[in-house]
Amino acid sequence: MIEKSPKTARGSVQCENTNIHLLKANDFVADIIRKEVAKTKTLLINITSSPGSGKTTLMQKTAEKLKDKISMAVMVGDLETERDAERIRETGIHALQIVTGGICHLEAQMVHQVLDKFDLENLDLLFIENVGNLVCPASFDLGEDYRVTLLATTEGDDKPKKYPKMFLTTDLMLVSKSDLLPYLPFTVEAVTKDAREVNHELEVIQISSLNGDGIDEWCDWLMKKVNEKKGF
Amino acid sequence: MHETSIVNSIMKTLEIEFDREKLDKMKSIHLKVGILSNIEPRLLHNAYSAYHMSHPEYSRVALNIESTELKIQCEVCNHITQVKNYRFLCDNCERPSKNIIQGEELLIHKVEFED
Repeated sequence: MIEKSPKTARGSVQCENTNIHLLKANDFVADIIRKEVAKTKTLLINITSSPGSGKTTLMQKTAEKLKDKISMAVMVGDLETERDAERIRETGIHALQIVTGGICHLEAQMVHQVLDKFDLENLDLLFIENVGNLVCPASFDLGEDYRVTLLATTEGDDKPKKYPKMFLTTDLMLVSKSDLLPYLPFTVEAVTKDAREVNHELEVIQISSLNGDGIDEWCDWLMKKVNEKKGF
Repeated sequence: MHETSIVNSIMKTLEIEFDREKLDKMKSIHLKVGILSNIEPRLLHNAYSAYHMSHPEYSRVALNIESTELKIQCEVCNHITQVKNYRFLCDNCERPSKNIIQGEELLIHKVEFED
């Protein structure tokens, strides 16, 4: 807690009503990113979720499906290690690791710093795979066109209301690991109802990276957004 | 970790906004923090105390945090609803709405200086 000053205030007090947004510095950089990807018409997608809900596996699956149709790349944030970028590179697409060194989310500044490592002019789709965390990443605009949140069936269908800010700011919820549905007390109806009470515009797709369910629907969604960005 | 970076962001923002001479006279910082901003006032106070270890020049500056409730205004009937249990529905006409008018803010609302 704050220690009170031993000195009492002298003289009159001057006051400035400011209303400065606390994340102003972040939002400023996010706008720069937005302008850069608008220039090159590169679709920028921010992928968020809890740790272990299948973001990197989905990136691998998506790369396998789409890499011959469009040019795509991934920047991936983690507290430590380069493991995820290595896994994504195995599919043959460009992937870059951002090691946050203990920070629980990606900030616009971190994204901007590595943006010139990507050939945006020739890139249709750039994913930002955020740090696995449903809390902090919700507050940081990264200049993305869309935010996509994965929620694995193993996490339980009561999650959206526990992390309302994330689901409020998400455009698409992917219910991942749907191959496990027969074994879990989880229903897509319940999770969709919970999430739509927070965000009635939320789109929902059910996927399994393991058996391929819903991957075509997800890739169609992506291709539609890529084409919209290109102005087709 | 999140609170630490928020405190850094507050202080960086103030250092951009005001010159050094003015900052030396800073007496208190007033924040308005919405329930949706994922900020826990007590943790933010702790992070602010920790910040003073590396920035003793601000150790006499008080931090005041005001939490705000979540409110939406219906686009159809204009009714203002205080959101409970994160159900974003208008109290009056029961239509869903994302038109948040209060509760998302993360603002440096007021700064006081000694004259």
